[in-house]
Amino acid sequence: MLETPALQRNATLPAPLDTRYQVETPEGIDLPLRPAGLMPRAIAFTIDLGIRGLVLGFFFLVLAFFGELGLGLGSILLFVVSWWYMVLFEVLNQGRSPGKQIMGLRVVQDDGRPIGWSASLIRNLLRFVDMLPFGYTFGAICCLQHPAFKRLGDLAAGTLVVYREQPVKRPALPMASPTRTPFTLTLQEQRAVLGFAERQAELSQARVDELAAILAVPLNVQVPNATAELNGIARGLLGPT
Amino acid sequence: MRLSDATVVIRPRTTWEAMDLGVLMSQQHRRLLMTSWAIITLPAYLLLTLLLWDSPSLVVMLFWWLKPAFDRLPLYILSKALFGETPTLRQALRQWPALLKPQLLASLTWRRLSLSRSFLMPVVQLEGLAGEARQQRIRVLLQRNRGASQWLTIIGMHLETALWFGLMALFYLFVPQQVELQWDWETLVSAAEHDWLWFEHLVNFLYPLLLILWEPVYVACGFSLYLNRRTILEAWDIELVFRRLRQRLSGVAPVLLLLALVMLPLAPPAFAAEDNNAPDSPRLLNQPLTSEAARDGIEAILDAPPFKNPETVTRYRFGEETAESADETEAKPNWLKALFKWLGSQRFDIAAALIQIALWACLIGAIVWLAWHYRERLKALVNRRPTPRLPIERAAPARMFGLDIREESLPTDIAASVEQLWATQPREALGLLYRALLSRLYHDFKIPLKPSDTEGQVLQRVEQLKQDNLLGFSKVLTLHWQNIAYGHRPPPTHLQQELCDGWRGLFGPGASR
Repeated sequence: MLETPALQRNATLPAPLDTRYQVETPEGIDLPLRPAGLMPRAIAFTIDLGIRGLVLGFFFLVLAFFGELGLGLGSILLFVVSWWYMVLFEVLNQGRSPGKQIMGLRVVQDDGRPIGWSASLIRNLLRFVDMLPFGYTFGAICCLQHPAFKRLGDLAAGTLVVYREQPVKRPALPMASPTRTPFTLTLQEQRAVLGFAERQAELSQARVDELAAILAVPLNVQVPNATAELNGIARGLLGPT
Repeated sequence: MRLSDATVVIRPRTTWEAMDLGVLMSQQHRRLLMTSWAIITLPAYLLLTLLLWDSPSLVVMLFWWLKPAFDRLPLYILSKALFGETPTLRQALRQWPALLKPQLLASLTWRRLSLSRSFLMPVVQLEGLAGEARQQRIRVLLQRNRGASQWLTIIGMHLETALWFGLMALFYLFVPQQVELQWDWETLVSAAEHDWLWFEHLVNFLYPLLLILWEPVYVACGFSLYLNRRTILEAWDIELVFRRLRQRLSGVAPVLLLLALVMLPLAPPAFAAEDNNAPDSPRLLNQPLTSEAARDGIEAILDAPPFKNPETVTRYRFGEETAESADETEAKPNWLKALFKWLGSQRFDIAAALIQIALWACLIGAIVWLAWHYRERLKALVNRRPTPRLPIERAAPARMFGLDIREESLPTDIAASVEQLWATQPREALGLLYRALLSRLYHDFKIPLKPSDTEGQVLQRVEQLKQDNLLGFSKVLTLHWQNIAYGHRPPPTHLQQELCDGWRGLFGPGASR
């Protein structure tokens, strides 16, 4: 049973595993979302838990001086914080509670739209199912076994926790005089050449030369000059800056 | 290791995303990973329990300590599966004792408490590095992802605890109500001191159970972190694309070479003559199924349905008339001959002619009647009077290139207006002059200008007039008009006099419109 069936010779290969989640808009545009797994979400939750604990602790200390009234107000506060903290932050702060904000996460609908009141309420009410029987056992197991890392509340509400897109810094390309490729490059190949130039600072010089040597023959240059040639092509692809 | 065979998308990811990839990898092979893990750990745990029945805590402690030894199996499976060679359960289990050999003692003693354990495990197990080389590699790897790998272990510890309590709670929930359990803290605490050993063993047994769920994920996350670190360090994704690009480009060259060889006109014909490997020549004669037999079989199949569908069709048609008429002439009776002879005689000629005329008259009458009957429709179909074709009047274009060329819009003395405008507004001056020229061309020289014409086309039409003066003037004016209109290059100052004189020379000294 555990043996994977041998692939037919002309069977299409299964798509390689990736952490991207494609959403297709009606216009036919693919929006790649990156669902976030258990680890960053656990840390985000811990941060939120800490913040809630601090807030509640502070107010309880203050309210302790007010006797019966303080007890009543404290109960109301407890209700609001434990049930509405996540909902209010998610709906009013673009799907980001403070913990998620720190971890670079946000909650969206399955199709990438911002989360609304109903979805947020469902997702956070079912948090108590995820917590069963103790300490998020069901939620953790579900999150680890779901391909888009959803816990039960996410499944019910149709929501997704994704990584926010972070602003990109302008990469520094090594200086070279721009040249043109002797052959046409596909978009992916252009990106690879640009990536080669951009990430050169992180790579060792030997590795850079090794990578460039792969393309020495098609580029019609000597192996030692291949790096400079590729940098020139990258400059050419980048255009005037 | 061939990167092109990788079953995951290789690209640089953030550390958290790299861990997510590990979770996905463990999901993809979850049955194999969990089963193999259970098969090696549960017997080991049971053995430990039996050996150390009196000290349950020690059993869990020892078992926890031995985790790195068990972890090597999931890592082996994942590393194989990464390149599409997923081992079967049997193969994986058989491999495990061999996996234990390298540096087991180190990983169970001074490296046991390392928080980056799963991240660094592939260095020993997959790269087979030891001593200084290993130290160096680890130093490079830990430059970036140290924090993430430690977080992974810390989260793992907490998750294990949470799952343990969770399973305990679940177990408690499943205890039927009929079983009267007076559990409170006091009895639970005293249980450890009394003879409730079986209960403690039961609770402890939940730990290996939850590890079946978690430990493969932990190993996979460490492995994917390691993969991601190396992808970033060595630019694996770029290497992949570059190799593919080289393959694509080098794939074109042999095809061209082959094409050239095929096109070669001087190919010696002797080779072709000696070649007896043509598809039709009998081959494979020394075996039960020869090529002949095969071809016969193929043809037999091709002759039968569904490739060919022969069909017998029966229908009536006229028989062979010639033969029958020959018979009839013989059998013709005499009275018929006499009748024909009588009919063929002269006296019926007139009657025949009359009948003929009558028949023709009927035909013509029928046609005429039909034509009369449908006269209205015929009128509609055949229009005898062609509608007079409307004369095509081309409306005078009011504007060319956005310039108004109606005579009314022009000033009376063009040249004077141009001279006046020249100093302050050269653009307006040239525009006015060009506008006036177009207007003249259209109204005086009757050049059929269209609003869609370009300046060049206007010049071509002027050329057709064969008037050198006009052509020269138009060329100079057009050139400078285009310069100022599109290029914003002002005309030289001496041009003013030249153009105004040209205008006056062409269209009279008064230079009215």
